[in-house]
Amino acid sequence: MKKRTVILLVYSLTFFLGCVDSINFEVPPADEQIVVEGSITTDPGPYTVKVTKALDLNEDTVRASPVEQMKVVLHDDIGNSEDFVETLPGVYVTNGAMQGEVGRSYHITMETIDGKKYESESDELFPVGEITDIRYEYEARLKDEGFGEITDDVFNIYVDSEAGVSDENYVRWKFRGLYKVETNPELKVEILPAYPIPRPIPLPCSGYIVLPGPGNRLGKVDECTCCTCYAYQYEEYPQLSDDQLVSGNQFNNIKVAEVPIDVGTFYEKYLVTIEQMSMTRNAFDFFRLVRSQKTNASSIFQPPSGEIRGNVKPTNNNDTVIGLFWATSIKKKSMYIYREDVPYPLTEKFLVPDACYNFYPNSSTFKPAEWD
Amino acid sequence: MKYILFGLFIFNSIWVSGQNILEYKFKGSEESKPLSQVLNEISDTEGARFFFLPDWIEDIQVDKDYSGKTLEEVLNILFDGKELGFISMYPDALVIIKDPSNAIKRKQAIQTALSQDSKIDNYRFGSPDQMQRGKNVTISGKVIDIKTEEPLPYTNVQVTDTDAIVTTDEQGNFEVELAPGSHVLKFSYIDYDPTIIDLTAYTNGVVNVEMEKQSVLLDEIIIQGQANQEMATSRIGETQLVMKELKRAPAFLGEVDLIKQVQILPGVTTVGEAASGFNVRGGSVDQNLILYDGLPVFNSSHVFGFLSAFNSDAISEVSFFRGGTPAKYGGRISSVLDIQSKDGDFQGWHVKAGIGMVTSSLMVDGPLKKNKTSISTSLRSTYSNWLIHSIDTDYADLSNSSVSFYDGMIKVAHKVDKDTKVSVSGYASHDSFSLSGDSTYRWNNLQISGRLDHRFNNNLDGEFIVGMSSYGYSVLNNDYLTASELSFRINTLTLKAALYTKKGSHKLNYGWQFSHNKFKPGSLEPTSDQSSARFVDLDKQYAIESAFYVGDEIELNPYLFLEAGLRLPLFINFGPGEVIKYESGQPVEVTTATDTSSYGSFQPIKAFLRFEPRISMRLMTSANSSIKFGYNRMFQYLHLVSNSTAVTPVDIWQPSGYYFKPQRADQVSLGFFKDFKEKKYGTSVEGFYKYMNDIIDFKDGAELVLNPHIETELLQGKGRSYGLEFSLFKNSGRLSGSLNYTYSRSFRTISGPTEVESINDGKEYPSNFDQPHILNITWKYNLSRRYYFTGGFTYHTGRPVTIPLSAFKLENTTVAYFSERNQYRIPDYHRLDLALVIEGNHKKTKKWKGNWVISVYNVYSRKNPYTIFFKNSENGIPKPNQLSIVGTIFPSISYNITF
Repeated sequence: MKKRTVILLVYSLTFFLGCVDSINFEVPPADEQIVVEGSITTDPGPYTVKVTKALDLNEDTVRASPVEQMKVVLHDDIGNSEDFVETLPGVYVTNGAMQGEVGRSYHITMETIDGKKYESESDELFPVGEITDIRYEYEARLKDEGFGEITDDVFNIYVDSEAGVSDENYVRWKFRGLYKVETNPELKVEILPAYPIPRPIPLPCSGYIVLPGPGNRLGKVDECTCCTCYAYQYEEYPQLSDDQLVSGNQFNNIKVAEVPIDVGTFYEKYLVTIEQMSMTRNAFDFFRLVRSQKTNASSIFQPPSGEIRGNVKPTNNNDTVIGLFWATSIKKKSMYIYREDVPYPLTEKFLVPDACYNFYPNSSTFKPAEWD
Repeated sequence: MKYILFGLFIFNSIWVSGQNILEYKFKGSEESKPLSQVLNEISDTEGARFFFLPDWIEDIQVDKDYSGKTLEEVLNILFDGKELGFISMYPDALVIIKDPSNAIKRKQAIQTALSQDSKIDNYRFGSPDQMQRGKNVTISGKVIDIKTEEPLPYTNVQVTDTDAIVTTDEQGNFEVELAPGSHVLKFSYIDYDPTIIDLTAYTNGVVNVEMEKQSVLLDEIIIQGQANQEMATSRIGETQLVMKELKRAPAFLGEVDLIKQVQILPGVTTVGEAASGFNVRGGSVDQNLILYDGLPVFNSSHVFGFLSAFNSDAISEVSFFRGGTPAKYGGRISSVLDIQSKDGDFQGWHVKAGIGMVTSSLMVDGPLKKNKTSISTSLRSTYSNWLIHSIDTDYADLSNSSVSFYDGMIKVAHKVDKDTKVSVSGYASHDSFSLSGDSTYRWNNLQISGRLDHRFNNNLDGEFIVGMSSYGYSVLNNDYLTASELSFRINTLTLKAALYTKKGSHKLNYGWQFSHNKFKPGSLEPTSDQSSARFVDLDKQYAIESAFYVGDEIELNPYLFLEAGLRLPLFINFGPGEVIKYESGQPVEVTTATDTSSYGSFQPIKAFLRFEPRISMRLMTSANSSIKFGYNRMFQYLHLVSNSTAVTPVDIWQPSGYYFKPQRADQVSLGFFKDFKEKKYGTSVEGFYKYMNDIIDFKDGAELVLNPHIETELLQGKGRSYGLEFSLFKNSGRLSGSLNYTYSRSFRTISGPTEVESINDGKEYPSNFDQPHILNITWKYNLSRRYYFTGGFTYHTGRPVTIPLSAFKLENTTVAYFSERNQYRIPDYHRLDLALVIEGNHKKTKKWKGNWVISVYNVYSRKNPYTIFFKNSENGIPKPNQLSIVGTIFPSISYNITF
């Protein structure tokens, strides 16, 4: 409702001779800001902390440059600690000596090679209730694509769960979707100018080559290594418990995600995983601001998004640090939705003449353990 | 200022020759005689009358032979270097007066009046023998419109020989103290022909003045209302707006607008080109009380603020207070805009029509029964769909979009007897706005009021108002799968009683005001069977606001004027309703909710009794300059809840109650005002400091629409603003105009017990309306009596915004890192507008009058940003964009006709 309202207002004001131009502000350089992301859970480690630099708004890439060679240490509130080890540039992991326990508080300390120190505020690990039920419901939708309406059907995912025993019921439902797709990289062609027939250029990973001789025939010489992918789908913004009133210590009928229905996502089946996560108010406020920014994006009357800072603070300098190191209990529940559950037959084939990981976002040929 | 006493010898005889006595020629026989003797002789022989005090001229002798010279020439020679002057009042009468500066002024006043063909009335009270030495006489009376017989408040009454000025009160009454003797009183009121009273008073007397509307354009037109009134008006921070001038200023799409006129006054800003409403001295839009015939108006705009919802043709007077607000007004903490609709003419019928590019209007008024009952009605509507359809945009297919609005008023006034008038007025405005057939926005105002004016006796006037008003909006979603209607409404019942009385130097006004408000804070109803929309209906809320007030205007002496007032408002928010309670010591959030308390019908949930002292003073430091001071405290009980900077039609009005304390403002202002050169130039400097408490701001990322726990999204805190306003005007001559410059700052501090209940960590931050430099220049240059150029230039500092500074990756999405609230500014706003006005024939006898206004808005095509918003690029990085509403030069033409 809100989103629609807001977008329409954009039209209404712009047609009055309005015009939209991009504008630049003089802002401090982005690479002076350090971004920290990490958590400790009740699941066994290793736990990861990623440290990157913020992205300049004018940058076209979203590849954040890593902050390397830091000394990162995990601490609890009774004096235990464990060092993180840098396994990839900017990615620091523990080796599993410490595991999150309900009731303990955790924080990290960080030091760069030039001696700048940062520290996260201590974050308590709260218990979390079980997800008692997870289910889906089909919803028919249309979307206006400018040239006409197209179907935009979804499965809405709902959960029922226990709210947990803590007084502070800050809960997040983290959604993750996983689906299998197949593509046909052997059918890739190129169209040359002044050459009427497309020329096949099968990708080497497809296992096919163009056979010598006339007719551009394809021949299989090896197994395809880029035809089958497993693609993840992530939530657009965090789902939080703040607009849900707890009744009888239960969260009921909470809509936690939408799974788009198309030939790709339902090539075979779709794995929905919901993690119910406990958190402190600090972590909750951080995710709440992220959510509000994501839901209000691009509207002309958008309310100013708040400054998202998190709980990592510099201790011997005045750098701007954005980021959160938080402690959480996780209760997980998964289910498959099958192609047959879509109440109408989906188009049989959707030919993608490219490597699967090039075409589908967040995909790889690696088969995740959770898929069967 | 010198007061001079006239002790006069009166010679009664008749001047028969028909010649002016000043042309009497000396014969030579007068040589060596005392002047008094010579004058007596002339009086005897020629039948002329001379007025003078013998001791003034007892030492003057006709020193030589002046044969052949006229009396005027001789007197000029004899009085040269002496503090004596003379004026010829009538062909046969000559007055000799001491203090030539006063004499000259009187002389000029009468001669100007004569040359302008002004109305001169003679009044005479008592005779010299009734005069009590050393005691002044009091002249009182009432000023009314000759046709409608409406009283004319704030008319200037100027005693031209002494420079003293008084103004009439709301009922058109005035009182002036004078030295016994002859005076010239000049009555002036904007748009009216000045009236001159030639007065000789030895005893107290009553002068009733009827003034007539100008039928010819005067050369001296005041560009801004404050021009010749600032000095005279008793209060600091008050402005009367001149409706006539509005119509000749350049305007966007040729549409004249009241609110746009308010926006160029000192101390007033606006957040954007087409933003509805205005911000006064660092306050938000909802802190302005807009009254139409005494009833509150909650949304004063058409089409999101392009035009105000009032047809300027139907308005008789507008008062604007930004400081020194009288006790009569309350309920909002920044300013008051009091709009009075027009009574119909009690004498004859008039039709007025205007044709513009976007709207057309028609106004008809006249007597239903001559001198007894009049009717006035106006209607304005748009045909702007062509404009929408003709505009090319990337945003949407506008061919099935539509915009429509109308506003109309009707007023019937009936004079029961000479002391009683009853009027009933109705006002309606409606907007409907649809885009690509998808959603329709509608909002409307409706109000009906009845008013009784009654004069109980010479000392007691009363004004009684009863009325109902209703404001609401709805958003219709036409998509069949999600079809729904979101609606909001406030209904208000208003009762007002005001009494005006005077006793000695005190003018008292006191009264009672009551309003009952019913809020429907939001409902969403599915409007089709297939619709997936969920039915939501937030609980209605009820509140009453009642206030007693008393104000006293005291003329302590001719130099010092004081107005003191007190207002006692009582606000009760009552049931039926439910209040959600939250854990104490915890932030007010849904997660900390504990239980709910229910309140029955009329059971008070929360009551607030407050008191609001008001004071305003004026000290005349000379005949042409004054120092003014004002202090007021005001409370506000209804809050516009919005998390956008501009007013949108989906904002919610929230009453004070269990979780929302009333907003409070304390303001002091001090100003210095000076007029130069017979009021051709004037200047003023005014400073203010305003401290606000319990003002409302929203939490980062607040969701306000249809939120049943709205208290969890809002915060209350402090605000302060201060500034200095300079104003300079020239209101006569070929080139007239005004220049207003304001330097002001406006800040907020929201510091709660926890981080989530604070903004910017509890530090002070600039408010959305913090625009330090504001400059407005308007001018008018007469090419001839019928052709003139007008123009305006506006500049203000860009308002503060919160912008993304960088982006970062978090769990596979890109998130923007925003600055603290309001730490950056949008680019400065500036714009130049020009217009050429061609007046029709001004002969009084002509049956109809018309004028053309050819205007060019935004002459140099400045793309002024209306707002900054952030669009995510494909990779999720938010990029700042500015939206300019009128990003190009925009010419328009309109024609107004009156018959």
